[in-house]
Amino acid sequence: MRLYRLLLWLCPAALRKEYGAAMEEMFARRLADARETGFRPRARLWRRELTSVLALAIAERWKLVSLGVRPRRHWNNLDAMHALAQETRHAARRLLRSPAFSLAAVLTLALAIGANTAIFAVVERVVLNPLPYPESDRLVVLDHGAASLNVGSSIGITSGLYFHYADRARTLDGAALYRSDDLTITGSGGPERVRVTHVAVPLAPVLRASPAIGRWFVEAEGRPGAPRTAILSHGLWLRRYGGSPSVIGQSIDLGGSPSEIVGVMPASFAFPETRVDIWTPELVDRSMGFGLWGYRAVARLRDGSTLERARDELNGLIAEIPQAFPADPIALGNTQIRLTSALRTLKEDVLGRVATTLWILLAAVGLVLLVACANVANLFLVRSEARQREIAVRRALGAGRLGITRYFLAESVLLSTAGGIAGIVLADVAVRLLVSVGPATLPRLHEIRLDAVTVAYTGALSLLTAILFGAIPLWRVRELGATLHENGRTNTASRSRHRVRQLLMGGQVAAALVLLVASGLMIRSFQNMRAIDPGFDATSTLTFGIGLPDRDYATRDAAVAAHHAIIDRLLALPGVTAASATTCLPLAGGCFANGVRIEGRVIEPGTIPPLAMYRAVAGGYFEAAGMRVIRGRAIDRADVEHRTPVALVSQSLASRFFPNQDPIGRRIASNRPPLRPGGAQPLDWLTIVGVVGDTPINALGEANPIPQLYMPMSIAGGPDAPRNSIIGPDVAVMSFIVRTASAPMGSLDTVRRAVDGVDPRLALAQVRTLQDTLDRAAAQMAFTMTLIVIAGSVTLLLGVIGIYGVMSYIVSQRTGEIGVRLALGAEPGSVARMIVREGGVVAGAGIVAGLATAFAGSRLIESLLYGISPRDPAVFASTTAILLAVALPACWFPARRAARLSPLEALRMD
Amino acid sequence: MDSPPTLSDLAFHILLALGEGPSHGYAIGKDVEERSAGRLDPTTGALYQVLRRLAEDGLIVAAGAPPGVDSRRKYFALTSRGKRAAAHEARRLDALVRAARQRKLYPQRA
Repeated sequence: MRLYRLLLWLCPAALRKEYGAAMEEMFARRLADARETGFRPRARLWRRELTSVLALAIAERWKLVSLGVRPRRHWNNLDAMHALAQETRHAARRLLRSPAFSLAAVLTLALAIGANTAIFAVVERVVLNPLPYPESDRLVVLDHGAASLNVGSSIGITSGLYFHYADRARTLDGAALYRSDDLTITGSGGPERVRVTHVAVPLAPVLRASPAIGRWFVEAEGRPGAPRTAILSHGLWLRRYGGSPSVIGQSIDLGGSPSEIVGVMPASFAFPETRVDIWTPELVDRSMGFGLWGYRAVARLRDGSTLERARDELNGLIAEIPQAFPADPIALGNTQIRLTSALRTLKEDVLGRVATTLWILLAAVGLVLLVACANVANLFLVRSEARQREIAVRRALGAGRLGITRYFLAESVLLSTAGGIAGIVLADVAVRLLVSVGPATLPRLHEIRLDAVTVAYTGALSLLTAILFGAIPLWRVRELGATLHENGRTNTASRSRHRVRQLLMGGQVAAALVLLVASGLMIRSFQNMRAIDPGFDATSTLTFGIGLPDRDYATRDAAVAAHHAIIDRLLALPGVTAASATTCLPLAGGCFANGVRIEGRVIEPGTIPPLAMYRAVAGGYFEAAGMRVIRGRAIDRADVEHRTPVALVSQSLASRFFPNQDPIGRRIASNRPPLRPGGAQPLDWLTIVGVVGDTPINALGEANPIPQLYMPMSIAGGPDAPRNSIIGPDVAVMSFIVRTASAPMGSLDTVRRAVDGVDPRLALAQVRTLQDTLDRAAAQMAFTMTLIVIAGSVTLLLGVIGIYGVMSYIVSQRTGEIGVRLALGAEPGSVARMIVREGGVVAGAGIVAGLATAFAGSRLIESLLYGISPRDPAVFASTTAILLAVALPACWFPARRAARLSPLEALRMD
Repeated sequence: MDSPPTLSDLAFHILLALGEGPSHGYAIGKDVEERSAGRLDPTTGALYQVLRRLAEDGLIVAAGAPPGVDSRRKYFALTSRGKRAAAHEARRLDALVRAARQRKLYPQRA
């Protein structure tokens, strides 16, 4: 039924609107009638009904083109339709008479068209329409870079800068800042850690999104001191409230503070990412000064404005910061880092490298389709030559070129339509598979499905395919006039006749080689990525997050005591060999970052201290994470309990801040702005006691590791700094690492009970193993690699079938010649070598063309690779060897068959 | 008013089916199949292609559906122009039958 509806989409909209539903109803009843009958009548009904919709679509579209036809002509048109239908019926009969040929052609086409449709469905949703908002290409990200820090982008925005822009920028039509964190919700259904995004109230108008039920926030709810309100995601609403509309007006406990639920967003709303479950207003106003980094912001470009003009305007506004924020020390500090606008489209921000990846995949499956077309064209050539005389007779009897064209096109259109329909079925399966295994980084992944646009694309593709392989035999028809003059006994097909075939074969070899090289490069990149030492030991470790509600754990001491209680219970569990906690796990993305001061070094006026990421850890963290302490000692439980002012630094911090020096014993501190301009800076100095290896922040294989430092969780930011101070990480939210002797997920229940024993209101967030985290980091590359390798293998398979087919055919056509050669005393071995040599020359030409294409196109794939040159000679050589290893036998078998013929047999066969 | 268009076989059968009163696609299809003793068994697509032409030419119009049936179902009824076209076609066939009888190609009425 779904298929029928999809096919109806091919009809003109007017027809569909008026009769579509009625046709569906009639079809459904006819199907119901046929339910009691056997398989054959039912199959016949399906076939007839589906083709009739296609015929209707073609006829009606045709009519649309030839506008203004008088009614009388319609009936003539119908006659033409009947003639076409008749030609189609005849073609169908001819095809059914050679089922092996038809099946081979349809399967080949279905495979290729299915692959193209599936990838196109992904490209259409993910690349062409990644954002479910109206006029989404006018949405921009208000990001910044800092020239003096050599950072081009992604330092975000501050609240003051956001208001500065929102009040003054004329190129922007509204802007909204936001930031995300994880909070625990309590109430019915037990505690749960959810992703919460705190947004400025104008977000919904900027995105032009609105809640499915309830309302969006009003401006007063975004001011400091306003009563708390919250809007739920569609997923959370279904999960915790069973989709009940009465949720509006209820109160939800968000990290200890009750908030009123005012709305529920539609399922398609996933801003800024899919895992966000709650939106709350960010309570900010203009009185807070320049503010701190840590926000992100989106804006909508005003109509008629461009990205470049907006960027210029924002850079102009950045220059006005000192006047806009007089006597604000943070604003003054920020003028020194040479801030620049890194404005870019939201689409670019969301897609990143995914777009390139998907276009490359689409190109790869395009090559698969070309190879499939070449194969089917080959099959067609064989058929057309076998029927040369029939066609010549037809022409002699007065069939025009048009008639012959119709004769061939009817067959090719039928085959490609069947291939297209089978391809849609295959693509449907493939898309479901892609959605279930695709990396979570693909935007709108779960909305990917076959829709009208995709089906139309498949239709166009099938037609194009039909013309591509249907036209090749037509090209040959031109020479057929002479066929009747020949007496029918020809020993060899002319060389020119083989040229088309050899061209097809060479093309297949070239396309297969290009995809093989791409597959080889992807496999090597993936291996390189998996071979990276992440700096921690991922085996048998369970990780989870716990956030302590502010209300019950107001001080840092209370938080540290709770974390210690949890760790003690975890360590007491059977099978647990180590347990500890950190404010920020490896590969968890950005952690708390701030400038680092080094004792004895003066900050020159006009410069700012270098940045580092700070982690507060419990005792035994490095042991639990399997990180190597390269020099000095680790942080132990005693350091945490006695608030010893010590720190461990990463290797990158040591080499960058203390080049050729021993960092151990030196003192460093988290930078803090002076209390008043020009005043003293109270710094909390920490003594470096050890150096540890680097761990990745966002992705494996980061080019420039960010300097990191670790300190006891009891003194995060400094022994006397308040728990949520801006100079150190907040220890209320910690990630725990539990190293076990057995499978880590198996101990999840006992771990959960251990945490419940400390406080049953605490929820475990993001429970996974470190191995999962590592796999996720490589997921996108694994996904790309798998698809390209599949495309490469399919092409290789089709290519080999193609080579074998061409060689067999050439041998069969030359049987007579071979017979003569053998009769005249040629060695069977030399005959075989001759055949292989001819195939080898064509394959060699294809290989040269393929290598040249792969070499020239290497720049395209470069961005997908890791740790390997796109022109890696080893990959080029080994893939060529693989291709030769399968292509030569494909030539050799037909050749051996030829050589084994007895001359008598060979001469008689013709 | 121009003369009614020549009707195709299927179109004439559809007009005949509607001669009994307004009907919908599925029932028309069944009627055509029975009346032609299985010679014509139009598919949904073919039937609607002709229905659409007939509607465009003003031989049939969409008619209101009786209460309580599937709301997707679409009813059609003959227009006066449609009746004329059917009569015209019947006359044409009748003339052919008479001609056949005169030439002794078809038995006389019993």
